Amino acid sequence: MMHIALVGNPNTGKTSLFNQLTGTYEYVGNWSGVTVEKKVGVLRSKKAKMIDLPGVYSLHPLSRDERVVTQFLLTESFDKILNIVDASQLERNLLLTVQLLEFGKPLAIALNMVDVAERRGIFIDQTKLAEALRVPVVPVIARTGKGCDEVERTLLEKVAEQTELFTLFYGEAMERAIERFIASWGTEEQFPVRWLAIQFYEGNSYVRDYVAEKWPEATWRSLYEQAEKEVQHAEQMSLAQFIYEKRRSFVKEVIQQVVQRTEIGQVTLTDRIDAVVTNKYIGIPLFLLAMYILFQLTFDWLGAPLSDLLDAFFAGPLTDSVTALLEAIGASEFIRALVVDGVIAGVGGVLVFVPQIFILFFFISFLEDSGYMARVALVMDRLMEAVGLNGKAFIPLIIGFGCNVPGVMAARTIEQPRERLVTTLLTPLMSCSARLPVYALFVGAFFAAHQAIVVLSLYVLGISLALILAKLFSLTILKEETSVFVVELPPYRMPQWQALWRSTWDKGKGFVKKAGTFIFGGSVAIWLLSYVGPHGVNVNMDDSFLAMIGGILAPLLAPLGFGTWQAGAALLTGFLAKEVVVSTMNIIYHVPDVESLQGLMATHFTPLSAFSFMVFVLLYVPCLATVATIYKETGSRKWTMFSIGYALVLAYIVSFVIYQVGGLFGF
Amino acid sequence: MVAMTQLRVGERAKIVDLSQVSDLVKRRLLDMGVTEGAEICLKCTMPLGGPFMIENCGQCVGIRRHEAMNIQVKPL
Ligand SMILES: Nc1nc2c(ncn2[C@@H]2O[C@H](COP(=O)(O)OP(=O)(O)OP(=O)(O)O)[C@@H](O)[C@H]2O)c(=O)[nH]1
Ligand SMILES: [Mg+2]
Repeated sequence: MMHIALVGNPNTGKTSLFNQLTGTYEYVGNWSGVTVEKKVGVLRSKKAKMIDLPGVYSLHPLSRDERVVTQFLLTESFDKILNIVDASQLERNLLLTVQLLEFGKPLAIALNMVDVAERRGIFIDQTKLAEALRVPVVPVIARTGKGCDEVERTLLEKVAEQTELFTLFYGEAMERAIERFIASWGTEEQFPVRWLAIQFYEGNSYVRDYVAEKWPEATWRSLYEQAEKEVQHAEQMSLAQFIYEKRRSFVKEVIQQVVQRTEIGQVTLTDRIDAVVTNKYIGIPLFLLAMYILFQLTFDWLGAPLSDLLDAFFAGPLTDSVTALLEAIGASEFIRALVVDGVIAGVGGVLVFVPQIFILFFFISFLEDSGYMARVALVMDRLMEAVGLNGKAFIPLIIGFGCNVPGVMAARTIEQPRERLVTTLLTPLMSCSARLPVYALFVGAFFAAHQAIVVLSLYVLGISLALILAKLFSLTILKEETSVFVVELPPYRMPQWQALWRSTWDKGKGFVKKAGTFIFGGSVAIWLLSYVGPHGVNVNMDDSFLAMIGGILAPLLAPLGFGTWQAGAALLTGFLAKEVVVSTMNIIYHVPDVESLQGLMATHFTPLSAFSFMVFVLLYVPCLATVATIYKETGSRKWTMFSIGYALVLAYIVSFVIYQVGGLFGF
Repeated sequence: MVAMTQLRVGERAKIVDLSQVSDLVKRRLLDMGVTEGAEICLKCTMPLGGPFMIENCGQCVGIRRHEAMNIQVKPL
């Protein structure tokens, strides 16, 4: 099947178009760096495969997500390129187009965001643009799907091998250097060697490594230095700068032919919102207020009543009807206990939090799609700079509130390797939605009057520790690197309901799926372990295998205030996914609903030890999925172990201090 | 010719010299079309030595204050 790659600047709507063409849903958001890895999908008509890639400004990569694109072009086989061009930012978009044309693959341009361009008074003559670049150009609005059929038709029918390679003339000195490179290179490549030469001279680090694999350093270095000297002599500019300028003057010429501007003097909506949101004095307070509202809605105002309703349903009608059904079909007592005490208690105990988690994801999606996310990076940069990171590192942290896994992935867009590493390591300290059920369970039992404030304190504790550790790490493991911060601030867009819902569902379904798969499996396993003991089946739970396993940990946990086998067992299983802590507790305490569980727990915990337990759950280890992602992102076993190790130590110390110091004050 | 930090919020200026800016930041600025000769407008600044937000051709970019200090501009 034919493979078509989507390439374009960040935040130009590549993934939106990909979703329209393939009928799938991939992550869309209104900031640069949403897509950080390659995604493959099939056209609705099943005639070709589409490949969605991260956004890049040029083929010379600075960050890890950009590297994905250059690597893709150089090492993977594909047939055509669909270049997405943002019509409202034609100049910088076409700079990339030139490099893609030089690459020589059959190419079509999708001119996206024509609605935005028109609103700004920019009109583009697509026929002239197509003539100037000698490739098909199709205007689209990826957000609504307008023009997408035409894109598909063009891709399948009109885009053909270019008869002659697009060549931009770079001036005598540079052309001689290109000639020399091509002559020495010799071997055939899947792409024009001319392209390789230009990228090499431009200083593309990925291409340089590619070249260095074939040539000894002396060879490529002398070629490069000769070119640098000649161009410097002839043009009084560095090589990279000269190549950039040449492309830019070509692009400017094209733009002059194809763009018509009408001056629209009005102040845009974005300007008006920014006057408030990035205001010098109220920018930061506004952000904190937004987070507070998000939190209150999720936890207090809207989420909690919905969860209570669901809990009542699981405990009452559902359990009753399942019990009745099992009786009717004559199931054994073992099966009844497994289903009711194991599965419904374990899985249901987690599923009751679906409303809260969906509300949280809904708001995160809203932040992402509105364009506020990049502003948060701007507003928080000063604070992040103080701890040795940059404002962009705040985006992974916020996403981490939903789920740590995409949070860790989002760290890819940070340019400096060390800053990226520290962000990756610290994202798991963000209190993700899976930890919410644990808090909900405990605050309901012990802090009924101050629920929201106690949970808020845990969120704040997570962020504060992350910032303190960032400072610590930046003074030790990353001290030699200066941090860099440049962020693109996209125009605000009113998120569409449908897109918001898709995005919320896409994030939330993971939670539901987890409940159906390994929380289900985990619940069955835990129930079995609690049902079976060294002395037979259906034992008193204190004599079960589960009690034995949890009992090993109990003495270690005693100084933290929860030295029971129940807590030990729950924490152990919580490594799978943090919400399993709740499933395990439900099964162990063997109760029909959250309310009676909370009553029972009062005999095993005090308010202080309950708080210490929540802090421990917040910090102790990233869940299994997050650990796997950290390993994938860092590619290092050492750092993966470190992420688990430091979290365990941190959790132990903080819980210890809280319990012991709290005890002194007589809590 | 003055450093960008001398501009008032809302003031427009033309960029004259980017050569003092660190390489990585300069690359990113070029990527976003902020080059020598480009016309920019200072949109806002963040408190306590926080970043600057500038606008260029309808595109807003945030940079740090000490980078802005190294950008020479000519107010229009
Ligand atoms: N007004 C308008 N908005 C659009 C259009 N196409 C996409 N968008 C919006 O632009 C934003 C970015 O879209 P994405 O599809 O995530 O962009 P991307 O190119 O994949 O971005 P990265 O993965 O970060 O490189 C989203 O908020 C979209 O809703 C369009 O044609 N018109
Ligand atoms: Mg994308």
